[in-house]
Amino acid sequence: MLNIALIGNPNSGKTTLYNNLTGSNQSVGNWPGVTVEKKSGKLISKNIEATIVDLPGIYSLSTISLEEEVASNYIVNKEMDLIINIVDASNLERNLFLTFQLLDSNIPMLIALNAMDVVEKKLDSIDYKKLSKIIGVPIIPISASKKIGMDNLIQAIEKIDIQKVHKTTVYNDEIESTIGKFNKIVNDRFVAIRFFEDGLKALDGIHLDGIQTKDLLELYFTEKKKHILDFDMVLPNARYEKILEVVNQTYLKNAVQKESSTDKIDKILTSKTFGIPIFALIMFTVFFLAFGPIGTFITNQFVWLINQFFAWIIGGVNSLGMADYIGSLITNGIFGGLAAVVGFLPQLAILFFALAILEDSGYMARAAFIMDRALSRFGLSGKSFIPMLIGFGCSVPAIANTRTLDNDDDRKITTMIVPFVSCGAKAPIYGVFAGALFGNGSFIVVFSMYVLGLLVAILSAVFFKKVLFRGSTANYIMELPEYRTPTIKNTLRHTWERSKEFLVKAGTILLAAFIVIWFFSYFGFVDGTFRLLTESEIGNSLLGSIGRFILPVFKPIGFTDWQATVSILTGIVAKESVVGTLGILYGVNGDVIQNGTLLYASIQAHFTTAQAYAFMTFALLSTPCIAAVSAMKRELKSWKWLIFIISYEMIVAYVVALGIYQLAQIELGTLLSIFFSMIVVIFVILMIRKLIKNKGSACGSCEKCAKTGSCGLPEFVKYKEKTEGRDSDE
Amino acid sequence: MTLKEILPGQTCIVKQVYSNNLRKRIIDMGLITGTKVLVKKTAPLGDPMEIMVKGYSLTLRKAEARTIIVDRIEE
Repeated sequence: MLNIALIGNPNSGKTTLYNNLTGSNQSVGNWPGVTVEKKSGKLISKNIEATIVDLPGIYSLSTISLEEEVASNYIVNKEMDLIINIVDASNLERNLFLTFQLLDSNIPMLIALNAMDVVEKKLDSIDYKKLSKIIGVPIIPISASKKIGMDNLIQAIEKIDIQKVHKTTVYNDEIESTIGKFNKIVNDRFVAIRFFEDGLKALDGIHLDGIQTKDLLELYFTEKKKHILDFDMVLPNARYEKILEVVNQTYLKNAVQKESSTDKIDKILTSKTFGIPIFALIMFTVFFLAFGPIGTFITNQFVWLINQFFAWIIGGVNSLGMADYIGSLITNGIFGGLAAVVGFLPQLAILFFALAILEDSGYMARAAFIMDRALSRFGLSGKSFIPMLIGFGCSVPAIANTRTLDNDDDRKITTMIVPFVSCGAKAPIYGVFAGALFGNGSFIVVFSMYVLGLLVAILSAVFFKKVLFRGSTANYIMELPEYRTPTIKNTLRHTWERSKEFLVKAGTILLAAFIVIWFFSYFGFVDGTFRLLTESEIGNSLLGSIGRFILPVFKPIGFTDWQATVSILTGIVAKESVVGTLGILYGVNGDVIQNGTLLYASIQAHFTTAQAYAFMTFALLSTPCIAAVSAMKRELKSWKWLIFIISYEMIVAYVVALGIYQLAQIELGTLLSIFFSMIVVIFVILMIRKLIKNKGSACGSCEKCAKTGSCGLPEFVKYKEKTEGRDSDE
Repeated sequence: MTLKEILPGQTCIVKQVYSNNLRKRIIDMGLITGTKVLVKKTAPLGDPMEIMVKGYSLTLRKAEARTIIVDRIEE
């Protein structure tokens, strides 16, 4: 069985080609970093058996993020029999850099020259036969998105002789002499070249004894002095020189250079004047589509349909005459829980669809470009913006979207702060409480909840960055891809893939969680006997007992009755349940979710304004629903981090609610004190921001740099000497 | 002067790269000594900046741009 790896630059069309070659349906997008894990599938071929592995895109074998390492390690460890190097012909020079690195590895290789249609459109041309001759590996021109050249490529794969070694790139004498000396010690030209470029990092997994290591290091420093250029720049420089030579011989540029359509579009979309307004408009539209009247209407219809369907099943279950608890398990535990989650689906699908269009067109990269400045102040990168925005709708897709961030730490931080952003399901809680108690000022109160959520999210990001991920800078260096017209097929595929993922998750992990929660909600002691409870007896349930038991803990933050704690607990299933549970516990007749005003009297009787505000704060900031928790688990990939973040959220929710409630006790006008507490929070943010600025963490290039104001050259020279010194320490 | 000081529309040649945490990436993306760079624009909020290098659009923060020493050239 032939093991083939697809290697290429980010956004060069690997996943599209992978789909064509294997017939699978993987998500693709026009934005670097869509593939974050490796995937494999079988090559469609009648003649040979081969697996194809789709790896994350890399610009070079030297990596800066975890996903890149997946691909890089695969090559360095030579885990494949054949490389298909996909080269974006419309961006030949930079793409060939990786190609030349791959050639050094001596792994059998085949080049798929992609985007030939783009080159032709520009009226440029590439003499790929000549290119193939110079490089010494077969080249097949293709257009992965238009499925041109696929048969040729498959035939070429079938025919290739993986025993045959292609010729190695020979650099100039100076470089070859250095490589030769390194090679004498490590006995592998590829390792010698990697060592030349990457230093000690290249020796991971290479076994050398003490004397060899010492010799190699001594050699490194003597060789270093022989080259005029910085040592790590010598090879890349030589490589780019070679590439330029090759490109000049084979790439024929159209004499008339027109302004590209991408440039024309960008003149407006990323311009100083219109860039931000257009960005805001696009984001508003996406949001409006998913969570505005249209999305809500579709959701309501869908929920109605689901309920009808479930009612039909429940009817069937009941008619079977099974034991009560089994009927309750199926109807309340499984279907009740599933309905709460599946109800999100239409809005999510709309959201995924809109985001897929933004991704496929290439606008997403621009969004990150536009927002980077605003987020870099908090130690995040521009790419964190999209997940946070989606978080206003629903945390689940927002957390899944953090995958497009290219730094693992950034991804963790963004995942952990997204739940603080007030999601759509929390809105009914504010609606009911603010409506009942704050009268005309209710919309300010509701708005303040959104602001509070965002503030806590941003402050937490700063905190995580300063304390937990010290030393990690949110790197930002990104290519802006050319705009493409999104295809319907691709967009739908994207939408389907992500919706499916959500459903599968709802069906597995969540199901188990729902059953546990159902048990706690529907079983309890009534008059000394432990039995199944009816809907109206939820106060007697185990959950109710827990609610009563933990009530003292919640007293300081203004919870006066166990109904409040129990309703908060039911929020674990879905935040919408909070209001519904309160309705049941206060014995309100009618559907409080459909008509919040029914609850007003009970809330006015049981809560003061300060208590209500503390309750809303706690509901906003405490642990998100179980769907969001399982999404976090998926992205954090560690129980340790998950437990940490859940505890963190609980503590933060408690502390903030406590602060607000206690403050409200001291002041006369409650609203006024809420206002003051907001000012305090803003003040703290400003202070922290100032702190970051003073430390100059945005640069990260030389210590104590920002204190001198502008960056002068002498500082750099000093810094450089320092790094050289550090190299020798290692 | 550094790449940060080059105004949109101006062209320059890279002389030296001092950046540390993204240094290797910057080099591998084609910003090596002798490379011609056209500064296209800065983002609406003033940072990052977009440059044209080796025929493609690259965006990087000014924090990194000021660690790249360049010579301005007239086109």
